[in-house]
Amino acid sequence: MTTDVSAISAAALSPNASSGDARSQHRSFRLGDALLGLVCRGSAAIIALMLGALVLVLLTSAMPAIKQFGLGFLVSSEWRVNELERPVKDAAGHVVMEEGEVVMETIKPAFGALPVIYGTAVSSLIALVVAVPLSLGAALFLVRVAPTLRLAGPLSFLIEFLAAIPSLAYGIWGLFVLAPFLQSRVGPAIQATLENVPGLRWLFYETVTIAGKAVERPIPITGRDMLCGSLVLAIMILPIVTSVSRDVLKAVPRTQIEGTLALGATWWQSCVAMLRYGRSGLFGAVMLGLARAAGETMAITMVIGNNNQINPSPFAPAQTMASLLANEFAEASEGLHQASLLYVALVLLVMSLLFNIIARRLVVGRASPAGH
Amino acid sequence: MSIIQRAAWVSAVGISIVVGASSVHAGEVRLGGAGATFPAPLYTKWVAEYEKVEPGVKIDYRSIGSGGGVKAITDKTVAFGASDAPLTKKEIEALGGEDKIVQFPAVIGGVVPAYNVPGLSQPLNFSGDVLADIFMGKISSWDDPRLQELNSGVNLPKLAITPAFRTDGSGTTHVFTSYLATQSPSFKGEVGAGKQVKWPLGQGGKGNEGVAAVIQQTAGSIGYIEQNYAVANKIAYGAVRNKAGKFILATPETMSIAGEGAAATLKGTVLRADIWDQPGDKTYPISAFTYIILHKDLSNLKTDAEAKALVGFLTWATGSGQKFATDMDYAPLSSGVKIAVDNALATLTHNGKPLK
Amino acid sequence: MASARFETRRLTSDAMFVVCTACAIVIVTLLLLVSGYLVWIGAGAINLSFFRDIPTGDVANPGGMRHAIEGTVILLALAAAVGVPLGVAAGVYLSEYRHEWLFAGPLRFIADVLTGVPSIVVGILGYELFVVPVARWTSNSVSFSGYAGAAALAFIMIPIVARTTEEMLRLVPRTYREGSLALGASKAQTVLRVVLPSAFGSISTGIMLALARVAGETAPLLFTALGSRLLTRDPSEPFPSLTLQIYTYATGPYPEQKKLAWAGILVLLAILFVVNLLIRLVAARHASTRLGKS
Repeated sequence: MTTDVSAISAAALSPNASSGDARSQHRSFRLGDALLGLVCRGSAAIIALMLGALVLVLLTSAMPAIKQFGLGFLVSSEWRVNELERPVKDAAGHVVMEEGEVVMETIKPAFGALPVIYGTAVSSLIALVVAVPLSLGAALFLVRVAPTLRLAGPLSFLIEFLAAIPSLAYGIWGLFVLAPFLQSRVGPAIQATLENVPGLRWLFYETVTIAGKAVERPIPITGRDMLCGSLVLAIMILPIVTSVSRDVLKAVPRTQIEGTLALGATWWQSCVAMLRYGRSGLFGAVMLGLARAAGETMAITMVIGNNNQINPSPFAPAQTMASLLANEFAEASEGLHQASLLYVALVLLVMSLLFNIIARRLVVGRASPAGH
Repeated sequence: MSIIQRAAWVSAVGISIVVGASSVHAGEVRLGGAGATFPAPLYTKWVAEYEKVEPGVKIDYRSIGSGGGVKAITDKTVAFGASDAPLTKKEIEALGGEDKIVQFPAVIGGVVPAYNVPGLSQPLNFSGDVLADIFMGKISSWDDPRLQELNSGVNLPKLAITPAFRTDGSGTTHVFTSYLATQSPSFKGEVGAGKQVKWPLGQGGKGNEGVAAVIQQTAGSIGYIEQNYAVANKIAYGAVRNKAGKFILATPETMSIAGEGAAATLKGTVLRADIWDQPGDKTYPISAFTYIILHKDLSNLKTDAEAKALVGFLTWATGSGQKFATDMDYAPLSSGVKIAVDNALATLTHNGKPLK
Repeated sequence: MASARFETRRLTSDAMFVVCTACAIVIVTLLLLVSGYLVWIGAGAINLSFFRDIPTGDVANPGGMRHAIEGTVILLALAAAVGVPLGVAAGVYLSEYRHEWLFAGPLRFIADVLTGVPSIVVGILGYELFVVPVARWTSNSVSFSGYAGAAALAFIMIPIVARTTEEMLRLVPRTYREGSLALGASKAQTVLRVVLPSAFGSISTGIMLALARVAGETAPLLFTALGSRLLTRDPSEPFPSLTLQIYTYATGPYPEQKKLAWAGILVLLAILFVVNLLIRLVAARHASTRLGKS
């Protein structure tokens, strides 16, 4: 229930309205109120303007690409900035000759977002699969165990501080610590174990089309690949998912837990009841983590290998929407190239807004707005 | 203290910081340039040396990539742009046509195949078609017979090759792919030449620095970077077979020879010459000019003094500044090229007024 | 039979207890390892020259990051100068004018949504809104600028500050407002003299959180402030920032520059740690005083 403040104010002021002195005071009150109202409403309107500007600017600057490619942009996997000049071939595959000269055709640049959409989706999903179980376990610990050990305060502080560490720091750690470790230890170990397992060959070999022929070649394990990108993302979203889940679980009424315990439930069964009770909020926490992972730029650019390709192997380099923008936006001089990048930015914006909207709807008021 | 008083106090401090801060540099001319990463170490050196000659001129050069340099000068976000690739027709149109711009070579550089293969004691030999096939994935291991054939007597390891490439638009990519396109028809048709191409496989790095970092951190990798980046970072790089069939390592001398023949072709204010795959026994085949691009009328600069300072710097850089090129593994412009550059610089104006 | 099932249930429960504890331990250890490593390497790389010198242009002896530290401070001051008043005023609207449900509700929602915009997208918006137009309309030689960078940071700050301010104002007891109004104060007086001051501590906490958030941002600055190797204090020029300089050095190949990047990360982490600690202290003190009052 909200209080109608202005109604009270009118009621409080009305008895004085008869004297002339009070009337001038009343006028200055009204002026002050009007000013405050103007400033506050104006500032609030700016927030709406910000969102409007964001959508409008991206939409208009991306328009050339939207017109050219339409929604096919989202499912096309070709991203080639340069023009190609190659001999025209007839139906039989022979080079077409005219007056003793090879006939050449020019193939226009092509832009499609599928590889980066794939890269974003897969890296975020792997990150969630790694981070969410850990975060939920830790959140349960924080709510059900830590308070009895007087650990809740320090642990919460720690996790909130870690949530505030900029992605640049995680990226540098990923680049100099995790990637070399994956390259020299983890990658080779996994390869040695799984290489000869039937059905897992795609993990270590890729098929490249060379001169029209499909050739299988080993994927070099470099450490800067989809796996490394996903793991860095997972580490980055651990604190935020943990702290939001903790807040959600904390809000579960005590009676719920006590009720289950009174019915003879074990500790874990009461935890399950808690998780079930807070499931929509927890799902919101997961969506918040997903939104953060999908929009993450600096760390992922440093560790994902930056190759616009769709390769199912986690040992192959990939590219996300955000890393594509960080890599290419400053250098894009050609009109359609830049418009296509802005189209990617628009897709990224719409996607992360969607995740956020779902998350906010589910964790109503739980997630602190500054915690993101 | 009321909120308003506190707010007023805080904003007063804030404003005084900003105002005080921005009034520090009276009497200085500041110029911004942006673009190619390949000449960045030399440009940074030039800027530092020129500050000794003209202490009042401060220049900030940002190596954001050739594509970025062209974009920045087109958008007039900088005083001068720098690019390893000469302007394309489309880019010239976007800048207002040939008679609205000045483009000239600033120095010569070479692109080298730099690699990270443990246990080698001498530079490897490459040929254009072998490099093309490595970057297209047709040659996937260091002990491939075709590599072995070029390097008889060298014990090449059985190690997977990871090509490393530039993810950003760059003149380095332009030079390298243009050269490979002359060497391999299938490269020309499938990957093509350009500032940014679609590589069939490999690892991407941003800028020469980024590719150098990928090479250093990945055993078995091979990338294309400017020679001076390879030297500065102690990354091994190979010799490339030239038109005369000789294997040549990139040095200031072998690259300078490639530029000698170009002087005669440089005319007007938009100077360009492709100098890869030139004839001659001692010519390094993957050599190229790197260019500086200006608006012919420097109306993108606020004052006459700024315009004059810019011309002064560029005249110095392509003249006395060239002596720093060799130290940093670039090749200096020959005297014939320098004359063409000076003629182009003489056409610059500021809001219609000539500067020299 | 029944007791066996009970036994399994108890065992499962104990096992899950261990798993949860393990999860917490793994997360804390992992994150401590990451930050500990960063601090450890950074501590080995930091020295006086880091704070005193500016880049030399010589890769073997690259100087320090004084320009970048100053740049970040000025960028934050500029962003705060725009973002804090706007954010607080918008927060006041969301809390004190929330009876205007036709606007307040959707605006709160928009503010929430804006906190989730990827920072790289904010950077691109900054480029399109502040860099390109400035270059086209003013014929300024260099339009990558500190102002554009600060605007991008302010864009991130405003919704955060607005929402925290709102939350904090909502915690101010209704009786405060009613008391003030009953004493004959106007709405403006009530908001400015009673409501805002009583939430001052917690609002400044929110502002500090927002500043801490943007202090670590790199992506919004890539295409706006651009970075600079010069010690510049004129925000109409390309502007240095600690994060941009760290990114440039960390992704480059020069070992001496990488050392500086590590040192930079340490400084960044130290700033964030202190800010977080302060926030916690302020919040704790605030909670106790409010408790004492009521």
